[in-house]
Amino acid sequence: MSNPGSPGVDSSAPSESTTVPRIAPSRRLFSTLEGVLHEEVFFLILSVFIGIFSGLAVVCFRLAIDWIHLALLGPLPQTHNWRLFAVPSIAGLVVAVLVLHVFPGIRGSGVNQTKSALYIFNGFIPFRTAVGKFICSGIAIGSGQSLGPEDPSLQIGASIASALGRQLEISREKHRLMAPVGAAAGLAAAFNAPISAVLFVIEEVIGRWSAGILGSVVLSAVASVVIVRSFLGSEPLFRIPVTTFKRPSELLAYAVLGIVGGLASVAFAKSVGYLRPRLKALPRWTQYFQPALAGLLIGLIAFLGFPQVMGAGYDSMDQAMHGQYAWKVLAILAVLKILATTVSFVSGTPGGMFAPTLFIGAMLGGAVGDIERLFFPQLTGSTGTYVLVGMGVLFAGFLRVPMTSVFMVLEVSGNYEIIVPVIVANTFSYLISRSLQTIPIFDMLTRQDGLILPSLEEDREETILRVEDAMLAVPATILSAQDYIDANFHRVENSPDSSFLVRLHPSGWNTISRDQLHRLYREGKGELTLSSALPPQSLPSLYPDLPLDSALRYVNDYPLIPVVNRADSRRLEGVISRDSVFKKYGSRPAIEISTPD
Amino acid sequence: MLRSFPKLVPRSAPVILVVLTLAAATGFAAVGHLVSRYTANQQARGRKLYELGLADARTTHYDDAIAAFRAALTCDPTNSQYQLSLARALRDSNDPRRLDEAESYLLALWQRAPQDAAVNLALARVAAHRGSIEDATRYYHNAMYGVWSSDADANRNKARLELIQFLLSKNARAQADSELIALSAALPADPAAHLQAAQLFAQAQDYSGALSQYEEVLRVDPSNSAALSGAGETAYQSDDYNAAQRYLRLAVNANPEDAGSRQRLVTTDLVLRANPFHSHISDAERNRRISAAFSQAEQRLTQCAEKLNVDLKVAANPPASALPALQARWLLAKPDLAQLRSPAETDLPDAIMDVVFQIEQQTAATCGPPQGLDLALLLISRKREAASQ
Repeated sequence: MSNPGSPGVDSSAPSESTTVPRIAPSRRLFSTLEGVLHEEVFFLILSVFIGIFSGLAVVCFRLAIDWIHLALLGPLPQTHNWRLFAVPSIAGLVVAVLVLHVFPGIRGSGVNQTKSALYIFNGFIPFRTAVGKFICSGIAIGSGQSLGPEDPSLQIGASIASALGRQLEISREKHRLMAPVGAAAGLAAAFNAPISAVLFVIEEVIGRWSAGILGSVVLSAVASVVIVRSFLGSEPLFRIPVTTFKRPSELLAYAVLGIVGGLASVAFAKSVGYLRPRLKALPRWTQYFQPALAGLLIGLIAFLGFPQVMGAGYDSMDQAMHGQYAWKVLAILAVLKILATTVSFVSGTPGGMFAPTLFIGAMLGGAVGDIERLFFPQLTGSTGTYVLVGMGVLFAGFLRVPMTSVFMVLEVSGNYEIIVPVIVANTFSYLISRSLQTIPIFDMLTRQDGLILPSLEEDREETILRVEDAMLAVPATILSAQDYIDANFHRVENSPDSSFLVRLHPSGWNTISRDQLHRLYREGKGELTLSSALPPQSLPSLYPDLPLDSALRYVNDYPLIPVVNRADSRRLEGVISRDSVFKKYGSRPAIEISTPD
Repeated sequence: MLRSFPKLVPRSAPVILVVLTLAAATGFAAVGHLVSRYTANQQARGRKLYELGLADARTTHYDDAIAAFRAALTCDPTNSQYQLSLARALRDSNDPRRLDEAESYLLALWQRAPQDAAVNLALARVAAHRGSIEDATRYYHNAMYGVWSSDADANRNKARLELIQFLLSKNARAQADSELIALSAALPADPAAHLQAAQLFAQAQDYSGALSQYEEVLRVDPSNSAALSGAGETAYQSDDYNAAQRYLRLAVNANPEDAGSRQRLVTTDLVLRANPFHSHISDAERNRRISAAFSQAEQRLTQCAEKLNVDLKVAANPPASALPALQARWLLAKPDLAQLRSPAETDLPDAIMDVVFQIEQQTAATCGPPQGLDLALLLISRKREAASQ
């Protein structure tokens, strides 16, 4: 970001006049800062500001949702009240008009849109998206649509960051990274959980572990959480009950919860995946009514006695955590929430899947826990423990973010005693979901929109080729740079190889071809040492465990590349040649790329 | 949208940072203003809902109260008073599933202010609902020694009284008695407080403690019929029939409608008149009382046998199997009555009365509680046993 042409930048430069010009202290400070603030440092500082602005936006977003909810549904929603189905239906119509005419492109959760911005649009997210998401998601969630505020917060943060990056004209490379930095800030602010937000953005938005962006993501997440806590307090989302895990044998009970959660995740994901493209394919005029019909259905569910399915549902989760519902009610709520969230989401209403996923998991966890305790009264885990574990289970199974799911439960509960049940249950849920639903939900949504983006899950499953896979055996003939050229020439006379490795003294490697050696010999340089005829630089060395990709940059420049031992660089493990590398890549089965529906 | 903005910011990092800082500060102030206004509105709304909840709780409409308190908390989530009231309503709604949630709210409040006596008292009541003596005692003690916002001494005594009542309901008499001793030391000079303490002492079967508390009441209010009646009953229970007679007479005089005391007085008079071991009676009177008791015992035995259709001359099955044996013992002792006047037979009164006591005890166990002179003889036997132990 430094600007050498700007006045006052180089105050130490000699002046043509004999008098030294006086420089104002502020300018001197600025010039010092210019020197210090190279782009990397500036980007880190910018991340803090992104966190602050995202945090402020999320505070306003949460207030807006609360205000709309109170204004439209009142503080004490009662069943059998006409407002329960009238409000979400009318609000659905309003949202549909806004989405179709004023804010196109804000449908859905916002996670895959942010990921698309990172990988396809160079980090570009229109600021209009943030405004539209704020207004439409606020109306939708506040009026009772079964969606959550977290994913929209993520996109609002990403959109703010993207707009800031454009305004400041930072480099394209950095601008591309602004969206995930803002996404982490938005999500952290919405969840009041910075670690989970950072992990989610890495697992789902960025799709790979990248040390280069980690610092910025962490800084923005922390800054936004600080802002949210300073305005809205540091109260956790739930009042965490006493959670216990006493006997290892109880892990079986949590494994059962993981299996049930995995199956529920698949049912949820498949229903979304089946209905979304079909509703999208209906004539455009129907899109005006889809959110309204979804609202009507949810309202009817609430009217008939289950108002808990409306909105994000954090209060109901809190009550489930404290054993307020019998297992039958918990099970019914889980099923109804899957139905309500599916219709809300596939209707194109902007809103998030995080809170509904937690809700379904909480209810399912509570129900499974209570049923298990009916049959095995000796189980010591409270309903609250199963509710908490259930949240993680659906997170792992439906959103397919195993790391985030574990840390989310730990961060929300603040209790490390349940880490083992959480890991066991989440693992079962994740494995079942992965085996029955090959493509994760966010990837499926992206592919339905005609885009194919990288994912950490694909990376995890991909087999990485390493140098050792393409490595050839140690050559029979290795020349020494300290020997005379004629001696070396005689050593290679009967060798079938065209190039030879040369061991340098005291360490290092080089290569020489048979033709070069022959030419030197004919030129009468046989009595010179080989080192005198070789270039001074030694060859780059590779290690057996390096990815094979790292060999690609050298194979065109050198006929042979030594592969040496990490503990002893003089010890040769083998060699890599251009042919061996390409042969290895050629033998690899083609990567299957799914095409959009 | 921002792309259309003119490029106001010079492309110099320090300038950008200054501008961003100013923008952040402005945003902070604006959002702060918005939040404070919104919070004020919400708090006002929360107060209304809270009042609604309190009214519902007062009329024991706990479901409505819980809904109102929950709604109040959505408006003002950190309000300790709302949380405390919700927890109380959850606890008092008599739904065991709600105790967990009540406890969770209270524990959160306790973590913030462990010295708060009201929170500790509420937690103690939750523990009492669960029947946990250990937890309840701990939280009641915390409440007693915690900080009260007003009228600390009275509230502390009330908390201790509540603890004592809880301990008595759980049959933890020793713990209750130690709490009562502590309570009696801190009671104000209020007859009502001493009267309550006396009743609790009596429940804990600490009759001397109870009597001293009743006497405290009578010192201030000598005609307090409840105290007179209680003192009489306490003396009666502790086998001090002279004191019982004195207090019960005063109680009946003070409140002629007190049928319980009147009944107790009749029994007490009988005990005093029928006791052959009384120290200030002549030998003749003693012998007369022994004879009367012996006859009464035979009568009681016969009535009991008739009630159970038992032939006293033939061995019977349990539970009446002891009656023929007692009849045999009575017949065996009958000739001894004539020798009561002999000064050489000093052990005879005890031997005869032993038969009487065995008959009264056995018939009480087999045929139910006795009345009149039989009851008096049973009480005399109990007192005699207690004295010998």
